[in-house]
Amino acid sequence: MNKKIQRSLAVVSAAALVFGVSAVTSATAAQKTVYLAFQAPLTGPNALTGQDELTGAKFALSEYNATNPAVKVELVLADDQGLAEIAAVVAPGIASNKKIIGLIGPAFSGATQASLPAYKAGGLALISPSATKVSLTDKKAPVNGFPIFKRVVANDKYQGPALARYAIKGVTAPSVYLVDDKTAYGKGLADYTSPSLKGKIAGTDSVPENTSDYTSVVAKVKASGANVVIYCGYAPDAAKFVKALRDGGYTGIFASGDGTLKATFPNNAGNTAAEGARLTAADVPFEDVATAAQMVAYTKLTGIKVPGTYVTSTYNATNIFLTCIKQGKVSRPGIQGCLSNGTFTGIAGDTIKFDRYGDILGGAAVGAFTIKGGKITYVSVA
Amino acid sequence: MNLQVLSSQFWSLCLQGVALGFIYVLISLGYTMVYGVLRLINFANSEVFMIGTFATVVAQVGILNNQTNSQPLHGFRLVYTLLFALVFSMLVSGILGVLVELVAYRRLRALGTNRLASLISAIAVSIVLLETTRIITFSRPQTSPRLLDKWSFGEIAGANFRIDTVMVIVSGIVIFFILDRFVTKTRLGKAIRAVSMSEENSKLMGINLNRVVSLTFFIGGLTTGAAAFFYTTVYETTQFNVGFNLGLAAFTAAVLGGIGNLRGAFYGGIFLGVLEQFASAILGSQWKSVTVFLVLVLVLLLKPNGIFGEAVQQTRT
Amino acid sequence: MINLRDKGAAIWENWSRTKRIIFVVTAITIVALMPYAGEFGPTSFLNTPISSYQAVLVYPIALFVLMGLGLNIVVGKSGLLDLGYVAFFAIGAYTMAIMGTTTGLNTWEILPFGIFFAMLAGLLLGLPALRLRGDYLAIVTLGFGEIVRIVALNLEVTGGPNGVVGVPNPPPILGQKFELDDHAAYFWVILVMILLVIWMVRRFTVRRPGRAWEAIRQDEDVAALMGVNLLVYKLWSFTIGAAVGGAGGVIYASKTMFIAPDMFTFNTSILVLACVVFGGLGNIWGVILGASILGYLPERIRFISNARQLVFGLVLLIIMNVRPDGLLPRKKREKIKAKAVK
Repeated sequence: MNKKIQRSLAVVSAAALVFGVSAVTSATAAQKTVYLAFQAPLTGPNALTGQDELTGAKFALSEYNATNPAVKVELVLADDQGLAEIAAVVAPGIASNKKIIGLIGPAFSGATQASLPAYKAGGLALISPSATKVSLTDKKAPVNGFPIFKRVVANDKYQGPALARYAIKGVTAPSVYLVDDKTAYGKGLADYTSPSLKGKIAGTDSVPENTSDYTSVVAKVKASGANVVIYCGYAPDAAKFVKALRDGGYTGIFASGDGTLKATFPNNAGNTAAEGARLTAADVPFEDVATAAQMVAYTKLTGIKVPGTYVTSTYNATNIFLTCIKQGKVSRPGIQGCLSNGTFTGIAGDTIKFDRYGDILGGAAVGAFTIKGGKITYVSVA
Repeated sequence: MNLQVLSSQFWSLCLQGVALGFIYVLISLGYTMVYGVLRLINFANSEVFMIGTFATVVAQVGILNNQTNSQPLHGFRLVYTLLFALVFSMLVSGILGVLVELVAYRRLRALGTNRLASLISAIAVSIVLLETTRIITFSRPQTSPRLLDKWSFGEIAGANFRIDTVMVIVSGIVIFFILDRFVTKTRLGKAIRAVSMSEENSKLMGINLNRVVSLTFFIGGLTTGAAAFFYTTVYETTQFNVGFNLGLAAFTAAVLGGIGNLRGAFYGGIFLGVLEQFASAILGSQWKSVTVFLVLVLVLLLKPNGIFGEAVQQTRT
Repeated sequence: MINLRDKGAAIWENWSRTKRIIFVVTAITIVALMPYAGEFGPTSFLNTPISSYQAVLVYPIALFVLMGLGLNIVVGKSGLLDLGYVAFFAIGAYTMAIMGTTTGLNTWEILPFGIFFAMLAGLLLGLPALRLRGDYLAIVTLGFGEIVRIVALNLEVTGGPNGVVGVPNPPPILGQKFELDDHAAYFWVILVMILLVIWMVRRFTVRRPGRAWEAIRQDEDVAALMGVNLLVYKLWSFTIGAAVGGAGGVIYASKTMFIAPDMFTFNTSILVLACVVFGGLGNIWGVILGASILGYLPERIRFISNARQLVFGLVLLIIMNVRPDGLLPRKKREKIKAKAVK
């Protein structure tokens, strides 16, 4: 490369920065607009969860803005890459931006933990669609999210025992192999599942997320003689694991929690491997609760046919904010009061009300699902 | 510690380990070929692998139009589909390997700067490849349809000789054998070895250095692409971040065997595959990587150039 | 190509002592005022969209500069490729987190422990690993970085994947409080640490260890022949680098109040190494510039949201190809031909 090209490159990159600046300043000039922040991993290795959730938030917002409301709402995307260290940088910025009146997210419990101090200081209310860690709403925990933190997803304390009950339901002499994925979510769920299985656990393993080869775990499951396998982790890995189990000749029960209850799970596991899997969740698949017209609009907006993880809960979280904004609450304290005292309706027609520490009142009911003919089917309350 | 698993699953673990090992072998050839010639760790190779897995899915689903829920194929259609996907993935990865060299290495090589600049440049290319794929695929895992019905040849001592396991091992041996012959016997192969022994002297002998380097990256890409095809056929799923773990494992395998040495990569890969299986079966999967690295450190302390490292030492200037 | 580093050095050499002191004091003052640049009119273009400018200044920028300087001792000065530098940062952070939540000691009291444990880890890793050459050292350090993270992930005492919550903030110094949103205070503390490291590195460079490192970097065999004790001086550079990383980790844990294993991935090691190479291997000012830019850039371009990391990768690629020796390369005479490295 010669000097001329080098110089022009420098000019171009400098120009890019300058234009970036003007783009930012002009975007904030609009009138009668309030902002909601959306914090989740949008780039990097954990981006799947955040990008999936984002579709739920965008869809709820597009429905709202289509009704020509008096107050327009826009999203501010705060990418934390799912990492606590980035969240610790993003959160003070969001908290100090007074135009932002509420926050959907963060997606991950770790990032939530790192963000909470800044949001508490800024009095910014947040609703997480997917941070299930128990301590976030535990009044005895040294660091909890009171009073600003709310979540529209059941925490592990409720789901763990329900998962254990449902997994061994109707099995004579159950012998359970419990596997988690070494993430804060998977380990947390496994820790709340195992006490309900006392004396029935044949073995445990922790397989780090994004492992490709599950054959050694399958060998262990077979050697232990377990007839129930419970996996605490996310859908992509659950699909690989259940496929390896079935290909390895395991015929017992496969059970998993809400991280797995996604339409992508039976898809990725192939035609037959996921058949009959027992899944529990407080978050229900979006395509099961959305109307046909909504699904068409959703696909048109996002380009995605099969909604992924936590789309329903993100949609609900966004709508809760929008309900408050419709009631004329366009300040941080207003939103905070509205969330604490209001009663809301979820997309499935369910009533959502938060308790003092931010969990859904009566949100303890966990649904039981199975997979029939490659489709997730609701069975009962677990 | 879980030793009970060994009594019934010992041979099964061995077989699965070898099969996984062959995938490592094929990826690690991508590292070791480049290292042999340029003495550079080709950090972008893991993303070449990642693109290869997507190329396989594209060939099967996009080009040959098999649906994700379609039934397994049989006869000529099956062979044709598998071969087409294999060749497609290899070519895409091979060409990508050449492009990576052009973009990340060529200019820096011409300037003769420090090796770290090339390292960072290759990492930058990895970031670009990874993020581009992530944006295109909406960050979601892509499934490859089960086109190969996974019937078994039978069980020996608890080890299940399934068709895909056998296919990976047999093809791995064939590809490695061809590559080994190519490097030792053909004119081009000799050129590669000459450059790896001495850049200066091979230039004097009239070897076109840039062409040989491109060829090396192409071959490394080919084997990595083959690995990507086998990976996708066995595990039937891929994601934009699939390259990191496998690339790291394959790189470790190359170092274990003695980086820059083809046969070293071969034994290193298989050793690593088996080691991983036993480590996660006995100690628990969470300790797998720790075990691997401790073994690596031990091996390097006893044999500082890897298990088969002598050959590299001889070729060094 | 213009070598700004040499030009700068030439001007510096010609200055009198008073001129130098005035320059240094002004420069430090300007840097110390950086936390307010985001709000100050003429420099407000520095402000980062979405994330907090002051927080970004502490992490990643200032901590990257600190870690970059530490890693520069290892990679730049003595030519040892370390791909697992984040391990020492993690050890410092976990020392702070565990001791801070259990023993009741405060940050300043734990700081020496954090540095000590990081150095100890450097020594224990270095003793076997530094006998290896070039790329074999690279993979062993890479493995060590992963081992530290995975062990933290698997142990009970480190909280496993949940990490450690409720790490205490530092107590006030001279009335300056260190609450969570006192970003500027943390910035100043790290700035002092950076200045100390710069002073230390400059001392070392002109003394025996610096000359030994330089010799090792240029040619190990010749250095050994000349009577340089390779292992001892390599260990020195390795443990000093580790100490700087450990100190950074202590401050970091104390600032974010929460740490978890996924903060200490291979990516961070690579990023810090990229800062060193991008800025100018072996040159303190280059490393500082490189770390500032690479820490700042991803936050500054948040307005492009989805393609942020992609643009980061492209910028890194282009600059590395345009300026392979980094933005501010080391002095020409210190440079060695590529062939000597082989």
